[in-house]
Amino acid sequence: MSETRATATNQGFGRVLVVLYAIFAIGATSRSVLQISTRFDEAPIAYSLSAFAAVVYVVATIALARGHETSRRIAYLAITIELIGVLVVGLISVLFPEAFPRASVWSYFGMGYLFIPLVLPIVGLWWLRRSTGAPSSGTRA
Amino acid sequence: MTGLFSTATIVAGLVIAAWAAVLLIINKPVGRALQYAVLALTGMFVVLAIGGIVQMFGTDREFARAEFVGYLLLSPLIPLGAWWWSRNDKTRAGSGVVLVIGLVMPVLVVRIQQVWAGV
Repeated sequence: MSETRATATNQGFGRVLVVLYAIFAIGATSRSVLQISTRFDEAPIAYSLSAFAAVVYVVATIALARGHETSRRIAYLAITIELIGVLVVGLISVLFPEAFPRASVWSYFGMGYLFIPLVLPIVGLWWLRRSTGAPSSGTRA
Repeated sequence: MTGLFSTATIVAGLVIAAWAAVLLIINKPVGRALQYAVLALTGMFVVLAIGGIVQMFGTDREFARAEFVGYLLLSPLIPLGAWWWSRNDKTRAGSGVVLVIGLVMPVLVVRIQQVWAGV
């Protein structure tokens, strides 16, 4: 079908990537549910941002796991948003620390999470470029 | 929460990660023995969760209790997922997944200890 023999997005290293994204999706989602339900008024911007980041991670996880052409486009979009998010929020949190009285996943470029939030989208985009879409499974219903 | 048992969970996670790293390097999927080890790690996190919640009820100290319980209840699900994955993934990617989880779990224990300490 394809002329190249590159690995499909959801195979090989892609599986490890899916697990990494899944961990961040679970972690960010549960954390933001907790933050928003118990102490939203403390830091509405940071906590809204955590929730947004959680949604991005969930979308990226599912899109990477599916790995079809449309999913790959969604993954590109989600991971690009993630990269821009971590860069912009990271920069703002360094320049204007008072804007983020409470940490979000992306503040200080994800320092609280060993900078994995910064590395993950870069690795994700690299993998999307390197891998190919899985052949769509049979006929489209 | 900072006792010998939580240290043991950290060590167990790191041993499993090292084991999976070796399998990854020699291009092997996760074997039966490592699958059992991952399952044992899951069991350790169940014990950690029960022990942690019991300890929590034994103290009046102020700390993020909801967060603490959330971490404790979610943490066994991660190695359980890794176990399920390694049973079904017969490629070396399965070893990669177990390697990642083996490294994540010790970090999670440290984070749980931080919440317990009120950091």
